[in-house]
Amino acid sequence: MATGLLLPNKYKFIGWCLLIPATIIGIILSFKGFETNWLNAKVFAIFPGGFLGESKPFSFIETDITNTVVGILFIVGAMFVGISKEKREDEFIEKLRLSSLLWAVKVNYILLLLAVVFIYGTAFLTVVIYNMFTIPIIFIVRFNYILYRNAKIVSDEK
Amino acid sequence: MKNNIKVERAIKGLTQEELANKVSVSRQTINAMEANKYVPSTVLALKIAKVFNKSVEDIFTLEKTD
Repeated sequence: MATGLLLPNKYKFIGWCLLIPATIIGIILSFKGFETNWLNAKVFAIFPGGFLGESKPFSFIETDITNTVVGILFIVGAMFVGISKEKREDEFIEKLRLSSLLWAVKVNYILLLLAVVFIYGTAFLTVVIYNMFTIPIIFIVRFNYILYRNAKIVSDEK
Repeated sequence: MKNNIKVERAIKGLTQEELANKVSVSRQTINAMEANKYVPSTVLALKIAKVFNKSVEDIFTLEKTD
């Protein structure tokens, strides 16, 4: 069966190598309020932010890029882990992958709905930041848990 | 949908792993089908029937709930 658009299995390992450090640094950053000065660089910005007139769109700005780098590492890592083939990819694994993704999207929006209803003010901004990363996290946890559970059932049944 | 893969496998003296290799899927897939947790694609059903030299209907049967 054609399982197009999946990366070869080795990308899964590369993905974990990016995702785990990115998650750890991301958690540290969140405790520091995403305002560190670890890494400054001149970058091209379509929309540089700041107050009106302070900086023009489509210009080079000097800024702290810690959040940018960690964000990139996390997204690329999560993509590699999420969309690379299993060692033995087949239609059943594909079905598990798709159902895990659907499950993750559902759970994500139930959590977001609860947050919309019950969280107000600046705390909601934190929710939005976390929400950028919850779909891949929930998906990876769910998919790997189901794979693990199935593998366990198989090895129990000799 | 029910199936008698386990029975057919026993008749042929195949392990889950051997059957999995013959139809090029993982052992998890065979296990999930035998436990009625997974309905295979038409392609896989045909491949399994071919291994056992039977027609698909001899191995896979509809249930009332289907």
